[in-house]
Amino acid sequence: MNKVDISVILASSIHESKNAVGNLMYQLQTLKSEFEGPLDQVDKINNIEEGLKQLNDEWVEYLYLFKLASDGYDLQTDSWQVNEFLDDQVFVLSQSATAKNLTLDFECDETLLGNFDERLMTSVISTAVYNALRFAKSKITLSAKRLDEYLVFSIEDDGPGFTDNLDEEQNFLQNNTGLGLYFTKLSAQAHSIEDRHGYLEKSSSCTLNGACLNIYLPQ
Amino acid sequence: MAEIDFSNQRALLIEDMAEARILQKKMLSDFGFKHIEMAMKAESAIELLRQNTYDVVLSDYNLGSGKDGQQLLEEVRHSNLIPNTSTYLMVTAETSIEMVMGAIEYQPDGYISKPFSQALLQRRLLKLVESKQKLYSVNHALDEKDYELAIKESVEVVESFPFLESKCSRIKGECFLELKQYDNAIELFQSALKERKMPWALFGLAKSYYFKGNYEEAESRFRQLMLDNRFFVNAYDWLAKCLIKQDKKAEAQSILINAVEKSPKAILRQIELGELSAELDDFQTAEMSFRRAVFLAKHSIYSNSSIYFQHLKSFIGIAKEHELSGRQVDNFKITLKKIQKLFGDNPKIKSGAYEIEIELFITQDKLGQAKSAHLLYKQDIDMGLAVPETERFKKKLEPLLGETSEQG
Repeated sequence: MNKVDISVILASSIHESKNAVGNLMYQLQTLKSEFEGPLDQVDKINNIEEGLKQLNDEWVEYLYLFKLASDGYDLQTDSWQVNEFLDDQVFVLSQSATAKNLTLDFECDETLLGNFDERLMTSVISTAVYNALRFAKSKITLSAKRLDEYLVFSIEDDGPGFTDNLDEEQNFLQNNTGLGLYFTKLSAQAHSIEDRHGYLEKSSSCTLNGACLNIYLPQ
Repeated sequence: MAEIDFSNQRALLIEDMAEARILQKKMLSDFGFKHIEMAMKAESAIELLRQNTYDVVLSDYNLGSGKDGQQLLEEVRHSNLIPNTSTYLMVTAETSIEMVMGAIEYQPDGYISKPFSQALLQRRLLKLVESKQKLYSVNHALDEKDYELAIKESVEVVESFPFLESKCSRIKGECFLELKQYDNAIELFQSALKERKMPWALFGLAKSYYFKGNYEEAESRFRQLMLDNRFFVNAYDWLAKCLIKQDKKAEAQSILINAVEKSPKAILRQIELGELSAELDDFQTAEMSFRRAVFLAKHSIYSNSSIYFQHLKSFIGIAKEHELSGRQVDNFKITLKKIQKLFGDNPKIKSGAYEIEIELFITQDKLGQAKSAHLLYKQDIDMGLAVPETERFKKKLEPLLGETSEQG
């Protein structure tokens, strides 16, 4: 069997696993709504729910990654209120941040409009935030602004920042952070207008002194 | 976020999986909905939508073996079974999103990915309902088919809520198309495209050119849409229309075959392909398309006798070229039975069914069977169950039966 076959099989297995996770989440939600036991057990249920949600989001990332990497993803761009979009992201991810005693917030001009694939960028932002959750000490901030002909999403934290000395390819193969960055890079590149493509920029955060990942999307 | 009282609103929940249905129903009742009705598949949802008006529809994309959530949406939008003022939220999985987003002509008001928490659903729903409230005057005018008013109202909405501009431009453009003000439509879509490259604007522009009769301009834009996203199946349909207008029917047929492969459950597309193939004397393809259309017509608002008749006619086309296979004969009989069962009370349709059955027997040189069918036909005419033979039948088919006229 050649490589392509295996990746297709893996993608479809991931899809099945993702559905199974989704089913477990439904069952857990039902259980939670009927649960009348002590509070510390509610916390445990919340932890399991949180873990399942992260697992689900990771599977979604891998499915998109598969499509992007095999050239099978068609971008679905639409015009969005960026402020609302970031508010949504913080809303769904704040439980993960709270579980780790971290704060997650966002900054964005209310009138900012952006053109992008909302679902794909949802997965990109969650990937970046999950990653930042592993390094941040107390705070993660999402923000967006318009810079010339680009919409720029930034994910900043107050952790140790990016370590530049690691070989990027090596990094990508050896750990999850690298894979997440690779996915983010492909997602940014998939956004294009004529010959201008999206790209990433790793820098350090001016306000939080940790890592800052900027995602440029052409407008 | 504004508080919205759902207690006097009516919700329809369409979901085939029991687990999810129970949970979602609970979520909706926690939001305050007192009237929640449920359907397990598209077909029963259509029945409910025929009888009632719902303020909120929450529908899954995957609905088992029948129609999917997108087909359901297209049908109910097309036939105005759901007012524009209602809120339609589609539940999707990652695998289905491309198909849903690809249907640029008929889109739900919003999407939510499975699995979702109660809090997220509530948030999505509130936001959508809030935005629907802001657009109420526009949508109400659309429901009344007062497009002039809808344009006027949407200008006012944008003044109060600038962030709804994109949504309102789109509605305005569609109103210009309805009003046949194609130059206004072109101007609007072009200026929207200058702002940002939105698929709906390109699609609207292409349609405007089509209606103006400028088929080449339209064609190049529909092709652009297909290049941008191969899931824009509506662009395939319209490209086929352009090609037909330019008398490139064979090319149009191959475009439709391509679209049908991507989205086989769309009944109107199957009918279109069937009709085009019959015109091109490609009765094999015509038969296949109408067979699928007949299958999809079950419980569909598009179910009418013409689909069934066209399916039967395609067999006559095939029989003129080849002997029918056993399977084809069976398929003919199945559709014939369906016509009799669904429309048999109508004497005119009953006659039509007899005539096509007899014509097929004649085409197959089965004169004995043709004659006995004709005998039954005559009995039904005498009993008033069928109407007298058509002129075409009398002139073209009856003489071939070689019956002696003293019977009549």
